[in-house]
Amino acid sequence: MNSSKTGSNKTAVDTAVSAGVFRRDVLRVALAGSAMAAMGLRAPAVLAQTKQFSGTTLRIAAFQHIFHTYIQKLLPEFEEQTGMKVEFDLQAFPVYNQRMDLELSTHGSSYDVCNITHSFSGRWISAGWMTPFNDFLSDPNKTAADFNPDDFVSGTQVAYYNDKKELHGFAWEAGAMMMAASRFDILDKQGIAMPTTLAELTEVCKATHNKSGVSAFVVDRLHHWNFPPYLMGFGGKVFRDPPKDLMPVLDSPEAIEAATYYANLLSNYCPPGVLSYTDDQAMRNQLAGRANLRINAMSWLLPLAKSDDSKVKDTVRFALMPAGPKGSFPACNANAYGIPAGSKQKDAAWAFIQWATSKKTFEKTALEMGGLATPRRSIIEDPRYKQALTINGQDIAAMYLDVLERSGRDGYMAYRTVPVWPQAGEKINKAIERIASGQADAATSMKSAQAEAIEDIKKAGVKL
Amino acid sequence: MSAVEVGNRGRSGPGSARGVYAKAGVLPVFEKQRQRFFWLLLAPVLAILGVVTLLPTLYLLITSFTPLNLANPATAWDFSDPLVNYRTLLTDDRLHNSLWVQAKLSLVTVVLQLLFGLGIALLLNVRTPLMNALRTSFLVPMVLPPIVVAIIWKVLYSPDISPAWWLFQVLGWNIQTPITNAAWALSAIVVADTWEWFPFTMLIILAALAMMPEEQREAAVVDGASTWQLTWYITLPYLKQTLMVAGLFRLIDSIKTFPLIYILTDGGPGSVTEVSNYYIFVQSFSFSYIGYSSAVTMVLLAMIVVLSWVIVRAVSGGSNGDQ
Repeated sequence: MNSSKTGSNKTAVDTAVSAGVFRRDVLRVALAGSAMAAMGLRAPAVLAQTKQFSGTTLRIAAFQHIFHTYIQKLLPEFEEQTGMKVEFDLQAFPVYNQRMDLELSTHGSSYDVCNITHSFSGRWISAGWMTPFNDFLSDPNKTAADFNPDDFVSGTQVAYYNDKKELHGFAWEAGAMMMAASRFDILDKQGIAMPTTLAELTEVCKATHNKSGVSAFVVDRLHHWNFPPYLMGFGGKVFRDPPKDLMPVLDSPEAIEAATYYANLLSNYCPPGVLSYTDDQAMRNQLAGRANLRINAMSWLLPLAKSDDSKVKDTVRFALMPAGPKGSFPACNANAYGIPAGSKQKDAAWAFIQWATSKKTFEKTALEMGGLATPRRSIIEDPRYKQALTINGQDIAAMYLDVLERSGRDGYMAYRTVPVWPQAGEKINKAIERIASGQADAATSMKSAQAEAIEDIKKAGVKL
Repeated sequence: MSAVEVGNRGRSGPGSARGVYAKAGVLPVFEKQRQRFFWLLLAPVLAILGVVTLLPTLYLLITSFTPLNLANPATAWDFSDPLVNYRTLLTDDRLHNSLWVQAKLSLVTVVLQLLFGLGIALLLNVRTPLMNALRTSFLVPMVLPPIVVAIIWKVLYSPDISPAWWLFQVLGWNIQTPITNAAWALSAIVVADTWEWFPFTMLIILAALAMMPEEQREAAVVDGASTWQLTWYITLPYLKQTLMVAGLFRLIDSIKTFPLIYILTDGGPGSVTEVSNYYIFVQSFSFSYIGYSSAVTMVLLAMIVVLSWVIVRAVSGGSNGDQ
């Protein structure tokens, strides 16, 4: 918890610097323009000129998410202001990622704005498929003085810089991993508090599993998202030193210990068939009160308190991800709007991104419409936000901010944004399934994952 | 008269036209014009076939000699080590496992689909309004979109929402879902695939049965043959070629099984249900290794061509199908 206190006053720039990402370059290019504009030297032309993009049709690609529905509701105001017409092309998450991967690789111009999916950020940005924002940010004619890029919490932005410290995206959504007990009453009845360590988590699961017909724990099958925080909690890593050294270290003693621990949760304390659970299935189990504890991003846990389908609104409790022997490393991700390198309407695209990720827009989407997974600090610290996220007496906003800051400050999510992450992530999925389904012990399975990961990463031309 | 018949007739047999003309040493003008006309008619189809099938296959073959990775466009025309992909696949244990899984899945599903298709076709081979209605209802799984079939089975196999598991719970049975059980996951795919495709074999066999001459059966009945003897000695020999053709179709199609695996198991748990085309999909679209997946695809294509040729030879009794 100390770490959250020390980091709480840091800006995105400051905290990302401590993660070795950038400092002077960004301060120079990102803040100079806005400072000039703030001093009244020049009004931002983009926003000053009404209907500057008259006749322009902007095409935006993203995966389906409630935030885009909110944005679409607000679009008339933006279209009226700029004169441009905005069209969204929304697809299911896996379909979007595969299609956009192909689209970007051909430098296509079908889309002017696209979502940069967190786990693809390293791949899409390092391949030069996205447009850097630095020129936009340093130009007061193109960037409004009050845009304030430093308002984005560091953990939401670190993935969108390349090795030249160029920024390629602004987050529209942030995910911070925490733990929720849908039936805290079962723990409470036995005088058990929310677990704060992985050792305690096992004890809680042992004591509460199948009490009142409720499974103690539930996860979904995206082990490449769920497992790494456990791995790091036991002192392990996915890669030796990402992004510089991409040698996987999935067969280290720490990784084997973490895999044993995690697979034990799946095998012994989850509902039957959990290995096939999608994220929605896992959430439905919690909403119905059939499964108790789950560790996932806040967006997947808030419905327990907010959804009309929830049968556990009164019994839900939240906590930070339990710490392992080597610390707590809750996962954090963010999805950002970016401009494909092939876009032929980059100025219009930047105008849209600036508007969609402005403080004013987030005030509407987060505080009025309910999209609480927001990346801007000023919104998270707004009293209205805090009120919305005070659930059963708990301040969830503080936990959310803590996780976003922690991952940005410590930089431990770097493993997930390297270009060869999909190859390693898939091996983690397979390895965990082999262990939890009893096909192999943890040591054998993780050694196999290590060998397969090396082979697949080599195919990408990476020298290991 | 078809072009094939004309072509066959044109072969230099003793009594063929070509044979006569060959003896004379010349082809008459009419024969030349006729051949030219046939080629003229075939040309548009051959051109379309070339563009639609041959060119992509050729591109696939060329790409298989490169390490093409979409994240690195420069690899598209890198022929510095053209056999690297083919060397890699020789030592790729996961690919070998996927071929073995594919073989098991194809063999078992084709045999089961033939058996169920044959059995139900024999039972339904009676012309009554009830049987006609039943015949139509049996076709439903085959005409459903494959993704819908996969979702139906996903629901059936998911204990938290499955009516079957609700019943098991009422009965007090603790049964694990097969799709997350390493020993049963492939069987779960086999069951779903058989349910989806046995109507296809049933339909082909029913069509053959409708064409079956009644004389032999009537003669056998007069001679006192039992129902079993009629089936074993008359119906099944008559259906032999039909079963081979239906089996060939299903075998080739079984190698394309994808939606069931994608929705039900994602190739898992681990890799126990990962078939070759699913592995190709992962290499192509999860990792963007287009060069390597092209090489694997070429090998799979070659295996299917050889297998089809062997089966066609077997069906046609080694006569190459032209007699």
